[in-house]
Amino acid sequence: METLQKLLATLDVKIKEGPFKVVHPMFGAINTMLFTPGHGTTTGPHIRDSIDMKRFMGIVIFALVPSILVGSYNVGAQAGVEGLFAAFMFGFLKLLPIIVVTYAVGLGWEMIFGHINGHDIHEGFLVTGILLPLTLPPTIPLWQVAVAVSFGTVIGKEVFGGTGMNLLNPALTARAFLFFTYPGDISGDNVWVAVDGFSGATPLAAAAASTGPAVEALNNAGFTLNSMFFGSVAGSIGETSTIAILIGAAILLITGVGSWRIMLATILGAYGMALIVQFFGADAAGGMRTLPAHYHLVMGGFMFGMVFMATDPVSAAGTNAGKWIYGILIGVMVILIRAFNPAYPEGMMLAILFGNVFAPLIDHFVVQANIKRRLNYGK
Amino acid sequence: MGVFKLKKGYDIPLQGKAERRVEKAPKTTAVAVQPIDFRGLRPAMKVEAGDKINRGSILFVDKQNPEILFRSPAAGTVREVVRGERRAIQRVIIDVAGDSAEKFDSYTLDQVNAFSSSQAKEVLLNSGLWPIIRQRPFSRIADMDATPKAIFISAVDSAPLQAESDMLLDGQEKNFQLGIQLLSKLTEGKIHLSVSTKTKTFFSNLSGVELHEFSGPHPAGNVGIQIHHIDRIQAGEKVWYLSPRHVSKLGGFLSTGEYSGTKTYALTGSELDKRYYVTGSEGALVSDLLSETLQNNTQRVISGNVLTGARSSTLGFVGFYDDMITVVPELEGRRFFGWLSLGLNANSFWPMFLSKLTPKKKLAPTTDMNGEERAFVSTGEYEKVLPMDVLPVHLCKAILVEDIELMEQLGIYEVAAEDLALCSYICPSKIEFGDTIEKGVEIMEKEG
Repeated sequence: METLQKLLATLDVKIKEGPFKVVHPMFGAINTMLFTPGHGTTTGPHIRDSIDMKRFMGIVIFALVPSILVGSYNVGAQAGVEGLFAAFMFGFLKLLPIIVVTYAVGLGWEMIFGHINGHDIHEGFLVTGILLPLTLPPTIPLWQVAVAVSFGTVIGKEVFGGTGMNLLNPALTARAFLFFTYPGDISGDNVWVAVDGFSGATPLAAAAASTGPAVEALNNAGFTLNSMFFGSVAGSIGETSTIAILIGAAILLITGVGSWRIMLATILGAYGMALIVQFFGADAAGGMRTLPAHYHLVMGGFMFGMVFMATDPVSAAGTNAGKWIYGILIGVMVILIRAFNPAYPEGMMLAILFGNVFAPLIDHFVVQANIKRRLNYGK
Repeated sequence: MGVFKLKKGYDIPLQGKAERRVEKAPKTTAVAVQPIDFRGLRPAMKVEAGDKINRGSILFVDKQNPEILFRSPAAGTVREVVRGERRAIQRVIIDVAGDSAEKFDSYTLDQVNAFSSSQAKEVLLNSGLWPIIRQRPFSRIADMDATPKAIFISAVDSAPLQAESDMLLDGQEKNFQLGIQLLSKLTEGKIHLSVSTKTKTFFSNLSGVELHEFSGPHPAGNVGIQIHHIDRIQAGEKVWYLSPRHVSKLGGFLSTGEYSGTKTYALTGSELDKRYYVTGSEGALVSDLLSETLQNNTQRVISGNVLTGARSSTLGFVGFYDDMITVVPELEGRRFFGWLSLGLNANSFWPMFLSKLTPKKKLAPTTDMNGEERAFVSTGEYEKVLPMDVLPVHLCKAILVEDIELMEQLGIYEVAAEDLALCSYICPSKIEFGDTIEKGVEIMEKEG
């Protein structure tokens, strides 16, 4: 261990001062990942919490593992591969290249910006690099992934100053970029099954296109509440299994990494709005408005977005009161988009980006309320 | 009696509390009075190296307010006036010899009762004890010409391993009452005394104060938190505060007519073998108080508590407002895959380590930062350790962009660095909240 530490220390100086100093941010990240930075406190507090950003972001990745496992299996199962392990390996080998491209391209950008700004690669990208692939269909062309990651990292994050300064969730920014530039490869019926020539609609698409009651259409297409809960349906790689996402949610909530306020508020907002839509849509001939409210919670990207994207502390509202408003706003928006915008049966991505944009404004009002309380104290 | 049950906050489970027994310090070789202990003070020296002085002799005065005196806690010879950057005076070191003392008038309770407010002020200024009273906003020595809205005293011990008030005050009931009597002449408002269930018996026969009972995790014992809950500071208002130990010190001065240099400290921290209370000198040399030898390169000596204390060493002197010494292990080096550790012995507020399953287990953390500075990422957790209606992240951001109006609106007058120390402690991005608040306070002082 000591020899390794010494080697790292020598390399650190050599790289920083040598011709390859552009890779130093990457080296620094690996260096501090292998061994703690080893910085001591100089002033009080003389002791510090054992938590750091690496642990914080590491927990998020850990919480994503169930979705990665079940999602990979489901990609295989959807493609008709038999056997648990075979299906998993089939799916995982579809997912892995997407993750590799995401990391390679994203970390490349992070390294360049780290070099310009003089800091190591920050841990935020580790999460982005897993989140984005899980929101994509298994058939996504890898060059598109590369372009999307570039857009998400540079425009979504680095131009604002890097992790912690970004307005929008970088992974969702990247996904939205793909959604609007290459819609044919990320929506429709032909992208979800990783076998050429096979098509399969997502439950959301089936419900939206229904001409009679939506539940009937879902059942006819083979979608039940159960199958949508456990995740044996078509969809983006990580979004299909509600149960896997809920395990991740439990990890985030127990460790305090994810905000329970945002999750609860999003559910309340979505469920409440879905009830309203269902109430007024009772006489509709078909489509999303005939869908019972609780179906919305297990369909499409709702759960995945709520647990892993809406709770991104950087792009979410930062005040506790603001988190309630922010969550409810996202929940309401996702149902409105799903029910009233036939072009986008999936509303979660846009709803969260919408929430991201409004988060600073929400916080502003919460801060103003705090200021007002302070002024009125004693009056 | 107002009862305040605070829920927010956090008690770091630390090893190293002092046993409840008092011993005499092994020796008293040197003491120091340190202008750096007093925020914003610019001293004008009255002695120089080699001068023979008595206990109670004037060492220096406040340049802006020469009536504010700083007296020597011991008799002997001035060894050195230590200067730092730009020749700012850091400390005056005295080699202790003998115990000849300056004589002052002594007073009974009735005599103090009959004081006018200007008389009270005059006696207090002359005693050299004026600096025991500090002022919020800004935590500096009380403004001589101000009439405070109220005076606050906290006898709630919530800081990590904090010296227990009843140990420091033992047998001082009469002096405490006398001190309160004098303080009551300095304000037209109330004297608010906060106690805990542990400390309240000591104060049961006290008159002239408004008692409040506080319970809850740290920082419930911080006077700033208590002011926020009892009677908040509004723009333009000033309140004074002091420690209970200083109240009894003041009483002792009035009843004996001597500047007493003795002070009791708690010796705490996981690195000390013998932990107890020790009676030594005010401004004592750290090694004089200890009966064991420490290694300055592997052990961190702190004057005060681990959250807000000043970094010191065995060759350092205990700060004027500190009544404890904490010794913790220095950082040991880099740990292999530290961020992935199970964390059986990891000190953490966050439920991300196995140590959270054994909340009663006392830990002995080192001075490791446990990470590197990052941008603000986490939200909502800082509020959990700050029992005030203040938004810590927004306040700090206002300070960082130097938006004075917003700083005022978000409560810069109500907070001191010590109140946000736990925010720095729990921060995954390793942001220094205390330093930021300090910077904000400096900006506000400059703006007037």
